[in-house]
Amino acid sequence: MAKLRLPAAPRDPELPGSAGAGPAVDEYGALAGAPPREGRSLRGVFDNRILPWLLLLPAFATIFALVLYPLVETFWLSFHDAGIPWLRDGTKEFIGVENYTEIFTDDLYRRVFVTTAAFGIACVLGTMVVGLLVALLLNQRFRGRSVVAVITLLPWAVPAVAAGTVWEWLFDARAGLVNHLLSYLPGVDLIGFAWFNDRWSAFLAIGIVVVWQSYPFVAVSLLAGFQAISPEVLEAAKVDGANAWQRLRLVTLPILWPLVMVLVIISTIWDFKIFDQVFVMTGGGPARSTEVVAITTVAEGFGRRDFGLGAALAVTLFLVLAAITLFYVRMIREETA
Amino acid sequence: MPARRVLGKVGIYVAALALVAFALLPFYWMVLTSVKTDADIITETPVFWPDEINLERYGLAFERGFGDALVNSLLVATTTVLAGLVLAAFAAYVLARFEMPLRRYLLLLVMTVQMVPLIVLIIPLYGIFVDLHLLNTFYGLVIVYLAFALPLAIYMLRGFFASIPRELEDAAMVDGCTRMQAIWKVVLPLVAPGLAATSILLFITAWNEFIIALNFTTDTDAQTLPVALTRFTGRGLVDWGGVMAFSTMMVIPVVIFFLLVHRRLTTGLVLGATKG
Repeated sequence: MAKLRLPAAPRDPELPGSAGAGPAVDEYGALAGAPPREGRSLRGVFDNRILPWLLLLPAFATIFALVLYPLVETFWLSFHDAGIPWLRDGTKEFIGVENYTEIFTDDLYRRVFVTTAAFGIACVLGTMVVGLLVALLLNQRFRGRSVVAVITLLPWAVPAVAAGTVWEWLFDARAGLVNHLLSYLPGVDLIGFAWFNDRWSAFLAIGIVVVWQSYPFVAVSLLAGFQAISPEVLEAAKVDGANAWQRLRLVTLPILWPLVMVLVIISTIWDFKIFDQVFVMTGGGPARSTEVVAITTVAEGFGRRDFGLGAALAVTLFLVLAAITLFYVRMIREETA
Repeated sequence: MPARRVLGKVGIYVAALALVAFALLPFYWMVLTSVKTDADIITETPVFWPDEINLERYGLAFERGFGDALVNSLLVATTTVLAGLVLAAFAAYVLARFEMPLRRYLLLLVMTVQMVPLIVLIIPLYGIFVDLHLLNTFYGLVIVYLAFALPLAIYMLRGFFASIPRELEDAAMVDGCTRMQAIWKVVLPLVAPGLAATSILLFITAWNEFIIALNFTTDTDAQTLPVALTRFTGRGLVDWGGVMAFSTMMVIPVVIFFLLVHRRLTTGLVLGATKG
């Protein structure tokens, strides 16, 4: 039986976003003490002054060209009216904030943003709760724990498109497993219930798929955090009369709070930009009622070739995500300061 | 054992069983559906253990597009892994070893990029692809996946490089190696576990990506597996048996790959996070 060796996390991990917080982990390991080798020879100069930049260049050039430049271009494009001619020769007409006024006044786009936020928050909550419960379970000693831990992680590896497809079949109205299993419950008859014909039930089904795929990451991260907390701290709380729930709420979670915040940020970004599962399971329908921002961006940009409006939708999503991230990073800083 | 303890133990096993069912049932049902007879698939009472096994759908899915998409996906994924490993290892090594000016900002940049969803960039990227005639090419997809997977790959690998004592390279260079030789002969073999973790990250990114592949490959010849799966599923009356055969063949390789390396992947993410 393969034993799942969980990574030993540091006592006080210097998490991304909490830079500078906590004791300075010696990030260079053994090398912090040694001064950089300053070669005087030509080879020394090349090795220490030129080579580093040459080695950095390809990766960062790729990132600049395909992430940073397009990011700026999206912003610029969002103030323009750009259609098919933009693709041909870059022709676009400057229209100021007109795309944004359309987004904020049009009922459909407004609804899309509200839907995305509500659905995203629900998914983050669901993922965090399921992830926490799974991490608590895997933190117990029981036979077969290592096998359960590996099985738990599996949904994480599945391509979102495949996961959406498989769950669409599970949620099938007549022959789907979900309706059959639920109908075994007394007083429930769901055979023939079409989950994807109604907005709420469709989002419930999509949300289950999203949580199914994202709780493993949260669970593994939290478990690594649990195992890094020194047993003495928990033992001391126990001696002082704290029960299991109090130990979790008053000791474990406060220690892990920065990690929890980072997981919330990562999950928020994942769940707000969701596309694959929605595209596969409902395609945004019926009557555009299950569209989220990513789906609408593709529909307006590529479906209707309104690239300016698509860019404005994308920028708005980006700003929302950036604001949320900043908010949480601030919270982490304040609480760990 | 007091009654409460026994109850607690039972509770743990019940919870573990529920968890395993939630995690595994979709996999079981996927594989099962793909080998059932049509009569067992569309039925009023679900069949959990079929009497008859039907493997024809696998051959059929292969003929109806799975084979071509598999070749495309493998090409895209392996190229992304190879190119990504080289670029990420170079950059991670420098960031772990040298006091570069603006080093803190470089890492901040890496993390920021990690936070930009693909959907935000898809329209300008499409423009670039049209200009450079990259639509429907595998290398077009590769460079986008590289740009997106590199930040996290660099971040992870950097932790591994930082955990290798610098004295080892210094010794090699005192013995007459150039820095490149020292990296190649001394450092890279020592970070092999990190390279393994990074390669699975790159592979899964390229293998699973959908939104770019969907919009940037319109020719069926250029489509990767996720796009081919949605085309195969189609709309309206769906042949679920065939679709599940297709899904099974697409999911099983990643799952096996994942089982082989999951320990290294989780260690890699944590090492990356801990080493500054």
